[in-house]
Amino acid sequence: MKWFLWVAPALLLCSGCTGSLGRQELADAQLLFDQVKSDPQVLESAPRDVSRAGESLARAEGFAAHWGTDADVEHYAYLSQRYSQIAREHDQLVRNQQQSQRLQREQDRLQQMLREARLLSAQQRSEWLDEQLQRLATMETERGLVMIIGDVLFEPGSSELNLSASRTALQLVQFLQLNPRRLVRIEGYTDSRGEAEENRELSRLRAQSVAQTLVDMGVAAERLQVIGYGEAHPVAENASARGRAANRRVEIVFSDENGQLGAER
Amino acid sequence: MSLRYLLLSAVVGMAGCASDPAPFEQMRLTERALEQAAAVGATTSTQEYRLAEERFALAKKNMQEQDYRRARMLAEQAELDARLAEALTLRGESEQAITVQNARIERLRKQLGSLR
Repeated sequence: MKWFLWVAPALLLCSGCTGSLGRQELADAQLLFDQVKSDPQVLESAPRDVSRAGESLARAEGFAAHWGTDADVEHYAYLSQRYSQIAREHDQLVRNQQQSQRLQREQDRLQQMLREARLLSAQQRSEWLDEQLQRLATMETERGLVMIIGDVLFEPGSSELNLSASRTALQLVQFLQLNPRRLVRIEGYTDSRGEAEENRELSRLRAQSVAQTLVDMGVAAERLQVIGYGEAHPVAENASARGRAANRRVEIVFSDENGQLGAER
Repeated sequence: MSLRYLLLSAVVGMAGCASDPAPFEQMRLTERALEQAAAVGATTSTQEYRLAEERFALAKKNMQEQDYRRARMLAEQAELDARLAEALTLRGESEQAITVQNARIERLRKQLGSLR
């Protein structure tokens, strides 16, 4: 009945047969559709477009076989081709996205390996760092391991660290990263010129500045104590410029392996 | 019964091209497909997008001339042209992303090699 419903007007109208252009479009559409429908991956990633390509192709074939004009055949063949192409592009997009995810995992893996390799070479360097630290530091029985940062590391009259201080700080950071349980006390000292109170403040600011640099480089602030001793505890006499320079310093006191810091002065 | 259907379909069939309904809905669909393609970055540098715009412009003209059959066909084609342009643009982007990732992985491999 339904079939008759469609064929009847076709018989009545009896339009002309399909031209060569329409046949070419139809053949192209058929070829494209065969490709996408036989690719299970395309079917999976773009099922709607594939089935529409099929529907359009069937209509084009219907027009070509029965009563359609060349324009109808061409039209539906064109739509079918487009649906097939869209399905293919969509499938390619999905594949690319999957590959992107794989590449992302590969990239993460490599970055992780790189971090580990760097850490490893940092650990190899750590022996050297330990030596460095031993060289910079002086053992003091009641205070533990102490590292002295001289005043040459500060811009004169300022609590800003200069470049070579930042390099020292970097070594410190690496040492602290390799020794995660160690804490440090950062102690500031000045020479005896100027008011004692101001000196205490300046020494605290300088110690704070070193601490801030370490924090900026990723050391947890909880691992750092900051104290300004001002002109107390000089390491040299304050009479000469040389002695005063030695007294302007920041001392880094390291805790033992278990995070036990020596008593404050 | 069957005679009535025959007559009815004959009438409908003959009415055919002369009185296709105005494809307002299709025009809207096509317009949306074009907007969507433009939204993901398709431009007239894509042949399919150019085709979509040209066909849609023609379809609008046909609408004004009340040539609804042609308007509908052009609008249907333009819709799929636009959707293909969109798909091509997205696929192209995903390929660029892969190129960037591959370059990054290559750099990481080199860095890793120099550390060992």
